[in-house]
Amino acid sequence: MSRSASSRHALWPYAVALVAVVISLFPIYWILTIALKNRVDAFAMPPVWLFSPVWENFGKAWSSTGFSGAFFNSLVVCAIGNVLALAAGIPAAYYLNRKHVPGRRTILIWLLISYMLPEFLFIVPMYVLFQSVGLYDTVIGLALIYQVFTLPFTIWLLRAFFADIPEALAEAARLEGASTLRIIWTIYVPIAAPGIAATVILNSIKMWNELTIALALTFEKAQTVTLAVAGFRGYASIDWGAMSAASIIIILPMALFAILAQRRIVQGLSLGAVK
Amino acid sequence: MRREKHIRWLIAPALVLLAAGTLYPVIYSGYLSLLQWNWGSEAKFVGLRNFVRILSGSGFPKALFNTFYFAVFAVVIETFLGLGLALAINRIRVGAGLIRTLMILPLMVSGIAVSLIWKVMLDPTLGIINYLLSLVGIPGPAWLGTVPTAMPSIIMIDTWWQTAFTFIILSSALKSLPAEPFEAARLEGATAFQTFRYVTLPMLKPVLITVIIFRTIDTLKVFDIIFGTTGGGPLRATESVQTLAYQTAFKSYKFGESAAIAVVFSLIILALCIIYLMIDTDDGEKA
Repeated sequence: MSRSASSRHALWPYAVALVAVVISLFPIYWILTIALKNRVDAFAMPPVWLFSPVWENFGKAWSSTGFSGAFFNSLVVCAIGNVLALAAGIPAAYYLNRKHVPGRRTILIWLLISYMLPEFLFIVPMYVLFQSVGLYDTVIGLALIYQVFTLPFTIWLLRAFFADIPEALAEAARLEGASTLRIIWTIYVPIAAPGIAATVILNSIKMWNELTIALALTFEKAQTVTLAVAGFRGYASIDWGAMSAASIIIILPMALFAILAQRRIVQGLSLGAVK
Repeated sequence: MRREKHIRWLIAPALVLLAAGTLYPVIYSGYLSLLQWNWGSEAKFVGLRNFVRILSGSGFPKALFNTFYFAVFAVVIETFLGLGLALAINRIRVGAGLIRTLMILPLMVSGIAVSLIWKVMLDPTLGIINYLLSLVGIPGPAWLGTVPTAMPSIIMIDTWWQTAFTFIILSSALKSLPAEPFEAARLEGATAFQTFRYVTLPMLKPVLITVIIFRTIDTLKVFDIIFGTTGGGPLRATESVQTLAYQTAFKSYKFGESAAIAVVFSLIILALCIIYLMIDTDDGEKA
């Protein structure tokens, strides 16, 4: 093989990667530039590629009615949702990893089916229930119903991580008289910490970005950041600048996650799908 | 082993949450679907009339057609594209980690932000896409605004958003394949295509099927990017089953009818999953 042929051979994947990266990033870059443009530049046609950035759109988005409150609501929902999912999911994953426990197969199939159900199958019953018990339009209610998808995912993923932990460790602790809860807490949780981190990250992304359920089960007090951003999609009055700034604000925390924890996200996603 | 007697308490919290979150709603939805009940008024038992109404009306069959139109194209395109990208980028030695990090960014973006980004970019007069097309002399369509182009636009948006998912999983799966079969193929003088067809593809198949099932379920449940861009229009051209269920329950407040839509749709998804899994095991037995 000639030298030029072999180097061409090695280069084409980079060309493919370059195109893919540009297509992946351009829309996010473009909305960022619109968020940083003044009104005239944002609507300019042909588009303005070089401009001096202004920050007023971010101020406008952040101070628009309910936006900052919704941002904090989403943080609280993610926090409570993760605590609930781990508190119920860690012992459940340990349980389902034992070979001969009652109901193992049924519960595993049940977990898969709950992932499959369309949101509106449980949204309407939950609306009726939440209205009558006072959970409608509360962050607690939202964190509870998010367990429909976070809990099966948490159990599924942690089961895969727990499966790699040698049984002999638990057996030794048991001979020394440690209780099952103690074994989970002092052996499984520390060893599977990277897996737990991956689970928390993926659950947070899912809950932070969730729209469908929040749209139906909140009204005002517990509005989430996705609903606050959705409020900008007016048809009559187009304020592209504030709308773009709001989009950037909602993207930013998750983009940081992606950059800081790329390896964990990839590991969690592939384990969730492959096992 | 006797100390493990109380082990069943470990599953109890999860079972309580799952029962409240899925079992109760499934049963209650089944019951609701038999009622004529507008939120705030008296409920009336109507038997299967809600099912007859949604199946004989125009709204639900149209939404079902749209949903499958969207799902089939989105899943096929995203799977092929993700596989192609995984094969190409797995050949890269230097910088592959950075490339993956940058490529999963769309996956981190909330569906509502995806909608707004593309609404701005696809704007017929002020959007960047039609400007770029005009540079090469192509008059851009109104994308989300006309009946024939609206659904293809949504499919394109979903492709931008979710191809990273198929890419990441297939890429991890490719990396974990054993080296020996590839070595054997090389020694036998197999071409790149033959290696792919007879070595890579069979070994990748279980993961490929899992990816397709995941994407099929997710695309059938499509809501955010339709709600955020077209709201189901123009002329219901992008109305999906879930946006229809939302309209029926929370705009018209017909809870019984909305429950009937959700019940029928859940059964369809369940049937599809069973068929997929049957195809999967059938092939497994033949091989």
